[in-house]
Amino acid sequence: MVADTAQSSAARSSTASSDAAARRRRRETGTAYALLAPSLFGITTFLVLPILVVVWLSLNRWDLISPVQFAGLDNFRQVLSDGQFARSLLITAVFVVLVIPLQTGLGLFAATLLTRGLPGSSVLRVLYVLPWICAPLVLGVVWRWILSPTDGALNALIGRRIEWLADPALALPSVAAVTIWTQVGYVTLFFVAGLTSIPTHLLEAARIDGANAWQTFWRIKLPLLRPTTFFVLVTGVISSFQVFDSIYALTPQGGPQGVTDVVAGRIYYQAFQSRQIGQAAVMALLLFVLLVVITVVQQRWFSRRTTYDLST
Amino acid sequence: MSASLRRRVADLAAYLLLLVGAVVTVAPFLLSLMTALKSPQQFASQTPLSPPAPVTLSNFTELFGGRYDFVSPVVVTAQVVAVVLVGQLAFSVLAAYAFARLRFPGREVLFWVYLATLMVPAVVTIIPLYAMFTAAGLRNTFWALVLPQVFGSPYAIFLLREYFRGIPEDLVSAARLDGCNTLQVLWHVVVPVSRPILATLTIITVVSHWNNFLWPLVITSGPKWQTLTLATANLQSQYNGNWTLVMAATTVAIVPLLLLFLVFQRHVVRSITITGFK
Amino acid sequence: MRSRLAAVAATTLLALGAAACSPSSSGGGDAAQQSSGGKTTVTVRIWDDQVAKAYEQSFAAFTKANPDITVKLNLVPFADYFTKLPLDVSSGTVDDIFWTNTTPFGALADSGALIDVGSALGDEKSGWVPAAVEQYTRNGKLWGVPALTDGRIAVFYNKDLVTKAGVDPAKLRWDPSEGASDTLLPAAKKLTKDSAGRTGDQSGFDGSKVTQYGYNAGNDLQAIYWNFVGSNGGQMQAPDGSFVFADTKGQQAFQYITDLINKHHVAPSAADTNDNGDFSRDKFLQGKMALFQSGTYNLKNVADGAKFGWAVAPLPEGPAGRVSVVNSVIAAGNAKTPRKDATLKVLKWLGSTEGASFVGSSGAALPAVTDAQQAYYDFWKKQGVDTSAFGEAGGTKTIQPPFGPKFGDGANAYAPTFKEIFAGRTPVGPGLQKAQDDANEAIK
Repeated sequence: MVADTAQSSAARSSTASSDAAARRRRRETGTAYALLAPSLFGITTFLVLPILVVVWLSLNRWDLISPVQFAGLDNFRQVLSDGQFARSLLITAVFVVLVIPLQTGLGLFAATLLTRGLPGSSVLRVLYVLPWICAPLVLGVVWRWILSPTDGALNALIGRRIEWLADPALALPSVAAVTIWTQVGYVTLFFVAGLTSIPTHLLEAARIDGANAWQTFWRIKLPLLRPTTFFVLVTGVISSFQVFDSIYALTPQGGPQGVTDVVAGRIYYQAFQSRQIGQAAVMALLLFVLLVVITVVQQRWFSRRTTYDLST
Repeated sequence: MSASLRRRVADLAAYLLLLVGAVVTVAPFLLSLMTALKSPQQFASQTPLSPPAPVTLSNFTELFGGRYDFVSPVVVTAQVVAVVLVGQLAFSVLAAYAFARLRFPGREVLFWVYLATLMVPAVVTIIPLYAMFTAAGLRNTFWALVLPQVFGSPYAIFLLREYFRGIPEDLVSAARLDGCNTLQVLWHVVVPVSRPILATLTIITVVSHWNNFLWPLVITSGPKWQTLTLATANLQSQYNGNWTLVMAATTVAIVPLLLLFLVFQRHVVRSITITGFK
Repeated sequence: MRSRLAAVAATTLLALGAAACSPSSSGGGDAAQQSSGGKTTVTVRIWDDQVAKAYEQSFAAFTKANPDITVKLNLVPFADYFTKLPLDVSSGTVDDIFWTNTTPFGALADSGALIDVGSALGDEKSGWVPAAVEQYTRNGKLWGVPALTDGRIAVFYNKDLVTKAGVDPAKLRWDPSEGASDTLLPAAKKLTKDSAGRTGDQSGFDGSKVTQYGYNAGNDLQAIYWNFVGSNGGQMQAPDGSFVFADTKGQQAFQYITDLINKHHVAPSAADTNDNGDFSRDKFLQGKMALFQSGTYNLKNVADGAKFGWAVAPLPEGPAGRVSVVNSVIAAGNAKTPRKDATLKVLKWLGSTEGASFVGSSGAALPAVTDAQQAYYDFWKKQGVDTSAFGEAGGTKTIQPPFGPKFGDGANAYAPTFKEIFAGRTPVGPGLQKAQDDANEAIK
């Protein structure tokens, strides 16, 4: 009897405490969702909802002036058969190939120079980041002047008249060069952080073993920089695929013979100049899918290669 | 050659290369400033590389008083950045705290949804957002510039969550024992402790919204709500070839951030590198 | 801690409070604000900043007579004007009154975006230039108040350079064969100098180092190619609006123009002029170009900016004579404006002799209100400039200006190819054909 009462009172008190726990959990959930409410609203309305709207727009024909008309898969057929979008993708891919390796390489090179302990390195490091702080659009306008064939600073400096932005062969490389100039300092900072975080005992060990600077770099520093390198590459590729502002400033309307007609620009002109919203929506969707694929592939590929146990 | 001499030579070579890099980085800024300080007559008659003689502020006065009103874009941009900064930080702190320290059903899934939205490129949402805002009659308004961004940034939430996870539980428990509710805990404990990351996020937010171009380009029209980047682009379009005036505009567009950068450079540098390491 | 908190809170509230107010002195924000206190603000969008100055005075006079209406100008650069206009019309953010030329006119009129000025202000019609009224009458209705009419295209010339080279600007003829009857080419050559001082007709002339240009041949619809095609006896558009410039006469005209640029180097390279419509004008004003073919829309700019003696000569004569495009611009009213009455009042003012007089008497542009035109000619006479070349003394033959509901789309379609043709990267024959096909495809 006594045992029964003891057991049931224990059971009662544990029910009581589990009730209290349940109430606490519910309150916590309520608090959590209250805290999340604004950002949830923001994300749903301004990120998730637009994606659904883009899908809807891609299935309709609209020029902003006339009423919206259903078009089924016509827009998809047109964009995929047109060749213009494919060309833009190709141009963007070339742009990425021009920019990313050079920007990463130069950034790494600058970082190795900056970590030699030379005087004024910290000042230089800050200086190199200046272009990254400024608006790409504004820098584009500045470079448009510098590269101007008649009144520009560059042609005045080299004494020749080169049509940097008007010559179809030079336009894309010029634009890529401006982008590299803008980003190198930013990349350098990452590599400097990466280099300075390499445990010195590893470098010491290498030196003792008789490795010269070159071998130390290739065999120790570079492999240990892989996480940084991969981060820089992944983010660089993603953001380069979306470049718009500087190209808009340097070579409006897609440049000479359309050689700088990158994807983001093409979508913008298609939507807000030609006012073919349906087709622009299709392009935007395709770009989105492409970027997701690239991101997932990069993450998968790189995550398998970036773990080093430095605990020894 | 001895090893130390070799090293000296290598150091010298490295230094020269770094200096070349510095010159290449800074030259465009200097050149554009030089041009902005030249009179149009001097620019037309001499090489673009000649220093301004005499130095004149006429381009700037024309920018701010003459035909073009550049004061408004500066103020509009500052207002937009201020509002977005306050909103983004506040709402991101709230959300990050929920993700970091509260337990609730759907927490992991929801967080992954937040992160997933980071993969959506701006140019994809531009078109539907334009359609949505126009349909709501909000095109060319202050709120159109601000609303899409003001409710928190998944990026900020991600960074803050990492940081908040590291806050010692004792601090929070102590506050709770004192009778603080969640908001008070946030204000009195979490935020003061998170000053470094908040400073970093402030810099990132200010820089990215000051320089925003595509959204203002699409959603505003006319002089009233144009931001600084948009005003610069419009000025370049209007006075194409009048490089002295255009360079004055780019100088005005760049200087505020340059100053901010020079004052807070340590924070900026840290903000860049901190985002690289998760 | 407390005081800092208070400071932060106060600043935040201040920022948020001040946030929704625009700092620009645009005299009112949204529609509600604009009608408060009995004052209405009507907004007017134009692209010409010389006329903007005249309009400001005109609107000041208007507000004096109508104290409850203020008028605010919105200056949009010409390069972006027709990209932004349809977007703003469709999103309901366009100004109450806006200039338009024929580029988007047809589409706008058909979509009901414009006020039917012909019915609303019918009694004023007689005061307006008939050619302008006709150009902007569509489906029997007039859709705007004629604001400006550009006179004929003529040639501004630098008196000094022209005398030194022994060139008579009034007697210039061009011929596709560049034979004996062609006096434009030799004149332009004599007026072009390279950095070594050699003129375009001397041996050893280096076309890549030109410091002084003879002429402004380039990718300019109103000032150059539309007129050259006409002067060769060709047409740019057929009566149904389709493009026909790729025929023989068109090819000859374009070949002549591009040769001036790329073969003889007497005009600036397309790399400079394709994206910068003011490049040649700036070179002329700097004294680095001898002959500058343009219209009344640049007259004030030249007068204000040229620091040398200059005058105006008629357009060069072609095989079919001196054929010029004569274009007008109208001020259209936004059909969806919430301030219809005030807008109509301002439109009426713009179409009245008094309202348009400021434009004419400042010499900014030739108004399309007949009685206000004399003020323009008088102004320039007083300045000592003979403007007769912009009028009948410069010739009487004209070529139909751009027209058609989708002209803008067609122009956008042929624009990239034209740029390549002028840059010399695409041969004229095939290039024009492609451009014509693209343009006709776009206007279907």
